[in-house]
Amino acid sequence: MKFSARWIAEYVDVPGLDGTLQGAAEVAARLTAAGLAEEGIEQVGNDAILEIDVTTNRPDAMNHYGIARELSALYDLPLRPIPGASAVSGAPASEAIRLEIEDFEDCPSYSAWVIRGVKVGPSPPWLADRLKSIGARTINNVVDVTNYVLWETGQPLHAFDLGKIRGGLVRVRRARAGESLQTLDKELRELSPENLLITDAEGPIAIGGVMGGFDSEVTENTVDILLECAHFRAPVVRRSAKKLGMHTDASHRYERGADPGACAVAGERAAALIAELAGGQLAPGKVELQRLLPGWPPQVEIRYSALCRFGGADIPSAEGERILRALGFGVEIDGDSWRVEAPSWRYYDFQNAYPADVYEEVLRIWGFDRIPYTLPAVGGADAPMSAGHRLRRLTQDYLSASGLSEAITYAFHDRERDEAYPTLRPGKAALALANPLSDRYAVLRRSLLPNLVEAGRYNQRRGAPVVRLFELGHIFWAEQHDQNAETETVALLVGGRLGTPWERSAELDFFDLKGILEGLFEAIGVTPTFRRATVPLLVPGMAAEIVLDGQVIGFAGQLDEKEPGYAFQVAEIGLGLLPVVTGSLLVKAPSAYPGIEVDTTLQHALSVPWRAIEATIREAAVPDLARFALKDRYRGAGVPEGAVNTTISFLYNSETTSLTMEEVNERHQALAARLASEFGFSTGNSTGALG
Amino acid sequence: MTALGALAELKDQFETEAVGIGDRAGWEALRLTWAGRKQGKLKSLMERMKDIPPPERPAYGQAVNDLKVHVEARLEEIDAALSAAEVAAKRSAAAIDVTLPGRRPALGSLHPVTLVAREIEQIFAELGYSVAEGPEVEDDYHNFEALNFPDNHPAREMQDTFFVAVGGQPRLLRTHTSPVQVRTMLSRQPPIRVICPGRVFRNDNDLRHSPMFHQVEGLAIAEGLSLADMKGTLDAFLKRLFSPETKIRLRPSFFPFTEPSAEVDVTCQNCRGGGCAVCSGTGWMEILGCGMVDPRVLRNCGIDPARYSGYAFGLGLDRVAMNRYGIPNIRTLFDNDERLLRQVRV
Repeated sequence: MKFSARWIAEYVDVPGLDGTLQGAAEVAARLTAAGLAEEGIEQVGNDAILEIDVTTNRPDAMNHYGIARELSALYDLPLRPIPGASAVSGAPASEAIRLEIEDFEDCPSYSAWVIRGVKVGPSPPWLADRLKSIGARTINNVVDVTNYVLWETGQPLHAFDLGKIRGGLVRVRRARAGESLQTLDKELRELSPENLLITDAEGPIAIGGVMGGFDSEVTENTVDILLECAHFRAPVVRRSAKKLGMHTDASHRYERGADPGACAVAGERAAALIAELAGGQLAPGKVELQRLLPGWPPQVEIRYSALCRFGGADIPSAEGERILRALGFGVEIDGDSWRVEAPSWRYYDFQNAYPADVYEEVLRIWGFDRIPYTLPAVGGADAPMSAGHRLRRLTQDYLSASGLSEAITYAFHDRERDEAYPTLRPGKAALALANPLSDRYAVLRRSLLPNLVEAGRYNQRRGAPVVRLFELGHIFWAEQHDQNAETETVALLVGGRLGTPWERSAELDFFDLKGILEGLFEAIGVTPTFRRATVPLLVPGMAAEIVLDGQVIGFAGQLDEKEPGYAFQVAEIGLGLLPVVTGSLLVKAPSAYPGIEVDTTLQHALSVPWRAIEATIREAAVPDLARFALKDRYRGAGVPEGAVNTTISFLYNSETTSLTMEEVNERHQALAARLASEFGFSTGNSTGALG
Repeated sequence: MTALGALAELKDQFETEAVGIGDRAGWEALRLTWAGRKQGKLKSLMERMKDIPPPERPAYGQAVNDLKVHVEARLEEIDAALSAAEVAAKRSAAAIDVTLPGRRPALGSLHPVTLVAREIEQIFAELGYSVAEGPEVEDDYHNFEALNFPDNHPAREMQDTFFVAVGGQPRLLRTHTSPVQVRTMLSRQPPIRVICPGRVFRNDNDLRHSPMFHQVEGLAIAEGLSLADMKGTLDAFLKRLFSPETKIRLRPSFFPFTEPSAEVDVTCQNCRGGGCAVCSGTGWMEILGCGMVDPRVLRNCGIDPARYSGYAFGLGLDRVAMNRYGIPNIRTLFDNDERLLRQVRV
């Protein structure tokens, strides 16, 4: 919002308001420090124009007089009053017009002045220049005066051509269904009961607080003026303007809360200026109806000592009182108890006020920069890290230490991919955005994979020989009974050739991905199982569900997408589906005796899953078998079609004695024989060696 | 020539032969010639003892023995030299080019936003704050109403909201992490000190804005907390986040949920306050919004504003990450180009 330095200077003698940039900059710095942020200053003619960001809670400062008032408080300088009415003549205003208000809740006060015999024409240069300097249009001397007074006092005004008002009547009422009005901008507006209207005896002539009607506007032929100066309640104008999709200088102020007490001063100022500049005669008196607003006047009791405690600063009470009075507040002091009454221009801000509303006024003028720096006297820590937060950190740390880079993608994607990709919540509907940016971002994701795969492709298309990414985020879905739900998941994507031959390169496959997942699960403290499954968009036969306690907590497999380049191995795990693990942290002391390692190679049908072999070894519960692991798999020369050689290494280690080779063979041969008979394959060369 | 004279000559002959030995085969031949058990010269010298006249035998025997000790010592010496040369040759053959590149463990990386969030969590953990989290799909009450955004009020237009259709129930994507503060206050009584990091959403997408970004907000509620406590806390935090020389400045502002409210600027991290293009010559960078929690918000959340007071603050993690790592465009943060991600360091 733009303000003229010289215009403000008409009301307060602040030294910097001399039209210079340097002077304006000093004033602007003080205003910024009080909450009216300067956003630029420019020289226009002999004036300095300040751009100030007035926050929505301060409609009282969206005008020159309001800024002058702030400065009078900041600089402790007197504020001059706004000039009043000039001489009157002719028949009283009440003979020209009769006023009716249907509901004072909508319009607590309405005043109108009559100026007869005006000559509508261009504004004098001083007025036109001033309006132009703050970016306002000039139209004619009468309309320009109403705008001028708006920018000066914050009070919206409207000038009607009195000759166009039918039946000598002005009514304020809600629109009825089916009514319409052509507004000043020549648009035909369909009206509804949300719209507050000004009507004459026959129909609408203006939308109250928003815009006047085209038919009653002031033109070159206008002779007599009816000048409206009213207070429309903020919520009423807000709904009315929103319904019509309109935003005007008037509605901007009414919506945020205009000054209910400004009508008389602003109206008289405008009437006098019109009479002076357009050569008319101001009729005696005004037409006026008004009722007290609810909660008038806004009052709040404070304890001054509480204000100082709240600010953490010792502000002398005389200074606190001075600040409040300079801003227009009434103050009644009884020791530490102060009864503070807000001025009319802060009516909306101080409805049902709390002491903090008053504290703010004193503190911002006193200056935040004068408040000391202290640390709160609250001892101890607040709360331990939540299980979910701990799990997320552990997952991020483990995966980044495993060579993956953390990605962050949008939480929404397109409906087509949402439906094509696997999700941990199959059968639940996606949540659609009512106002998406585009079809690409139409629904909230039920899986992190679509966007993560897109990130993988982004890297692949730029020539990355290997892609390793993970992401943590929420997935979302609709529950029954109009409920929504979300949970945190982690998605992984690896693919390509990792490293050069010098670095002993490896083509990343399913088992690289699975190894990362297994390590993650071990770090978390859970031991889920992988089982072959049909998963959408994963290559059949290369896809698995990950199951913990009978519940599917994730899936993994090779992505089946018809894109050129290496394949992606992907997985998604529901972190929010995992139990909180509070297992023992105790470690087991390693055996003090040497162990013996034995390798056994088994030739068995390809259809035998490792899981079954593993289960049999476990079930056999061979004494002193400390651990066993897959050593290698071989299918090639010497291995019949449909079979595979699986080499397993076994470590025998007693905690109480050094085992001999004979003792180990005794234990191991029974196990090897059992594996052979159970899976129906011939034992290969069972060899033993000292480990 | 006397037998003793002949022995002296033999010693010279041995020395002449020994000097030329350069390999294991030569050494073996020398050993056989001189110290061989069957035909070695030393053996035959001993056998000749019987031909020496008895009075000369002790001197002859002594001289042969001296020669034997000498020959054996020299053979051992040459053997050791040969072994050392062999080891040296092996080592030399196995020498590596230490300037070749090493094989690095395949480390990954955390996202810049995660790293900044963690650092801020750490700073506040040291000040006694815990981390609170909440849902990203929220309802109007927690995102706006409880935070003193009146229905239809222009203040709501400050935040372009994504709405979600859930049956008949209106839901929205949280526009800030403040609903987590509301949920915390509704579930606990003071003293409360939490920070709330998380993803937030605004219906805005251009070069400077991303429809999804990250915030961390903080909240402290207790008896007697003051504006000075807020200033001190933020000053301590921002000095840790940036540098000990960093200065802060508070400009009064407006947010519906705090009163008074302020924007906080820090010394421009590019020019250290001197004024540059990054800070439009002001020497300051806007970094966060804050304020004393509005009593209406406390009341909405079941906390007595007559007894308790507190402050709240919030900042954008993405901007801090961009500033720290020199990433010019917010959307670059979400391209997930591994070439960029893998450069990020703490």
